[in-house]
Amino acid sequence: MFAFLNKKKKEECVCPIPGKEAKEAYIDMKGVNIFYGSNRAVKDVSMRIKHRKVTAFIGPSGCGKSTLLRALNRMNDEIDGCKMTGSIFMNGVDILGKKVDPVSLRTNVGMVFQKPNPFPKSIFDNVAYGPRIHGIRKKSTLDCIVEKSLRDAALWEEVGDRLAESAIGLSGGQQQRLCIARALAVNPEMILMDEPCSALDPIATSKIEDLIFELKKSYTVVIVTHNMQQAARVSDDTGFMYLGELIEFGPTKQIFQRPKQKLTENYITGRFG
Amino acid sequence: MEPSTEKGGNPYRKRFRPGEDLISWFLLGMASLAIIVSLAIIYTLVDGSYGFFIDARVDIIDFFTGKNWSPHGATPSFGMGPLIQGTVMIAGGALILGGPLGIMAALYLSEFAHNRIRAVAKPFLEILAGIPSIVYGFFALLVISQVFRDYFEADYFNAASAIVVMAVMILPIVVSVSDDSMKAVPREMREASLAMGATKWETATKVVMPAASSGIMASVLLGLARAIGETMVVVLAAGSIAKFSWSIFHEHMTMTAYIAQVATGDIPPGIGIQAAFAVGLVLFAITFLINWLASKVVISIKKGGSGGLRRKKLGLLSSALHLLPNLTNDLLDKVRSDRMSKNMTMRYVKERVGKVVLGSSLLVALVFLVFLLYSILEQGLSGLTPHFFTNFPSSDPAKAGIWPVIQGSVYLVLLTMLFAMPVGIGAAIYLNEFAKENWFNLFLRRIIQNLAGVPSIVFGLVGLTIFVRFFSFGLSLLSGALTLAIMVLPIVIVTSEEALRSVPQTFREAARGLGATKWQTVWHHVLPNAIPGVLTGSILSLSRALGETAPILFIASFFSKVAPNSIMDGFLALPITIFYWTKHPKQEFQDLAATTIIVLLLILLTMNAVAIFIRQRSQSKRKW
Repeated sequence: MFAFLNKKKKEECVCPIPGKEAKEAYIDMKGVNIFYGSNRAVKDVSMRIKHRKVTAFIGPSGCGKSTLLRALNRMNDEIDGCKMTGSIFMNGVDILGKKVDPVSLRTNVGMVFQKPNPFPKSIFDNVAYGPRIHGIRKKSTLDCIVEKSLRDAALWEEVGDRLAESAIGLSGGQQQRLCIARALAVNPEMILMDEPCSALDPIATSKIEDLIFELKKSYTVVIVTHNMQQAARVSDDTGFMYLGELIEFGPTKQIFQRPKQKLTENYITGRFG
Repeated sequence: MEPSTEKGGNPYRKRFRPGEDLISWFLLGMASLAIIVSLAIIYTLVDGSYGFFIDARVDIIDFFTGKNWSPHGATPSFGMGPLIQGTVMIAGGALILGGPLGIMAALYLSEFAHNRIRAVAKPFLEILAGIPSIVYGFFALLVISQVFRDYFEADYFNAASAIVVMAVMILPIVVSVSDDSMKAVPREMREASLAMGATKWETATKVVMPAASSGIMASVLLGLARAIGETMVVVLAAGSIAKFSWSIFHEHMTMTAYIAQVATGDIPPGIGIQAAFAVGLVLFAITFLINWLASKVVISIKKGGSGGLRRKKLGLLSSALHLLPNLTNDLLDKVRSDRMSKNMTMRYVKERVGKVVLGSSLLVALVFLVFLLYSILEQGLSGLTPHFFTNFPSSDPAKAGIWPVIQGSVYLVLLTMLFAMPVGIGAAIYLNEFAKENWFNLFLRRIIQNLAGVPSIVFGLVGLTIFVRFFSFGLSLLSGALTLAIMVLPIVIVTSEEALRSVPQTFREAARGLGATKWQTVWHHVLPNAIPGVLTGSILSLSRALGETAPILFIASFFSKVAPNSIMDGFLALPITIFYWTKHPKQEFQDLAATTIIVLLLILLTMNAVAIFIRQRSQSKRKW
């Protein structure tokens, strides 16, 4: 697949094509359970995440929404004592299966973390890191990818003339968009966001939300958020989780306007959590 | 190939990454060397002791219970009684003096000291810990012993001087471990006590101390293990006659001192040499037991007193709750009766006096250090001439110099680090980045922890058996460096791991989230950011290797008076030279020993300054 990336770029110097050849990046979860040791953090979750839509997971802290998100790119593998059962089909492949290589999977599923976590390197090196570890060395190709990714992350206007500067000098919101650009640079099919705005101020948050709106034209986005207004604003589908269970899942409008479950309604109307 | 053309294929299929596996196995191999070293220690001691115990002249029961230790002569007798007595008296004495002093200093630093005092006290304790034991030995024999001779009619060699000096030597470990455990007591507990109207003094002694008691216990045990394993001070100051006597002003021999005596060739070849291995085995078993006990105590604080609470904080909080009822009643009684301001005044006076007493414990140690440095400078400074650096050792003190000695030490230390650094850093990377939490890796960690507690003289026996004899490297630079390398290995591993751990987890997550493999993550993000820490740790290990005497006592020869030309040549080292010159009956040579100590301390000081410089520079440049 990287041979493909390479060839395309070398020939046309076209940057990673968002969404590629219309691959249906939908996800089908069936009976997913996630354990931390003996503690069952996610209980029997089944849902279907649609292609090129924004899906939000909401719920009180500790309800398992981040854990579920981290199952989608197998980041849970990095935690000692974490076990996952059930199946998650992505493009028809069960990504929880033994034959799946988490490293390959993660090049197709980008992730943006709660706190902006740029590497202590230059802006350019941050974005170019992904392509580089996948063997892209040619300067012109890298230049092209970095520019495209930064443009897609709505950051090019602000940093395009100072790519060699350290990423640590950027503001929090810029850092987070840089992290998004870094995730886009490997041309994933899907982007996971784990409370991407929780460490940001309202202005930076609104920029990221605008960006998410743009991103869904080309990517499938899954976002975990604490903020219900944010879920209502950016997502197409919403899942409400409580104590590890998926209480309700459906179109965002329906979840927020006519929730079917009492628990969901209580949460949305602010009666708990 | 485009993914879409692989119809029904698995785009996330397992990739074959031979390099990744190879590297992780390679790193595991490095970490596993710790197991091989441990096996080598056990093999050395058991094999050597076996040769000793099957000898017809040896009676096992008498070995443990006998009171007569005369390892050579026509009818040798091996009753370890005097050795055990010497060890217990000296280590015990050091503990009785140094233990309370250390705990008091820790309590002062943790509960009362101003930040500025802490900032001075920490490096001061590091200096105390960083002074090589040979320097303490010199001070014990030539300065402290003098005092006991003048005022208590003590022998030239006496246990008392060793006790005093060793009390200061164990201070850093007692203070730092106690201090850590006191600082781990949650602030909420102190606030609970203060809010009930307790003074700071009452809070410190009645709430913080009991809550930190297991950590304090552990610190005392670790200090004890350190004192029992110490060699150079007792060899120099306590003497080499194994006599059964309870007076601390008489000459005494410890277990470590006997092994050292064998190492320096004072015991004629024969069964007496074999006996060193048996003594080494007993010494190893005792220190192992004490260290194991200390780790048990530490683990029990981490787990908490009851209910199997894992988190340290919760554990301490829960054990504190057991304490609170008594305390409450106590305090309520006090508060009721304390309506009168007279009592209040008394409580404040108590706090004032207590603070001064606690703080003075640090002052005692400071005075000791100043006295030590002053007497060495006074005795050695005049010998610090250019030709002292360029000349060769000689039987004429006026002409003697240390040029080949410096060369020997430099080669030795560089070679040591050449062996210890790659292995130590590799092992640290394995443990911190690759190891999953399973029984094998827990076992590995335990092994490394134990290695760090093995007395240095035991490494001398191992070096002799494994490198000198088994691999027939002879009494060479190579043998010396390998011996020191296995000794500093645990330190390199622990400090490197600390440096790796300080790299934020978010860097690893970000890289892994982009599809970097484990090794790519380590190589691109973790290592570059950990290098200053790893370097600092390595320099500190290097300085430990430079000052260490006991392990190379068997290998370094005082009689090779030229610098080594190859790694198979014999060599001299600074601490070894200090040792022989200190023991020399002529005053002029003792002065030379002091001069050599100045040189050694200057080199150590420079190395530490470099380490501190690297640490501070990296901290100021740190961007996260």
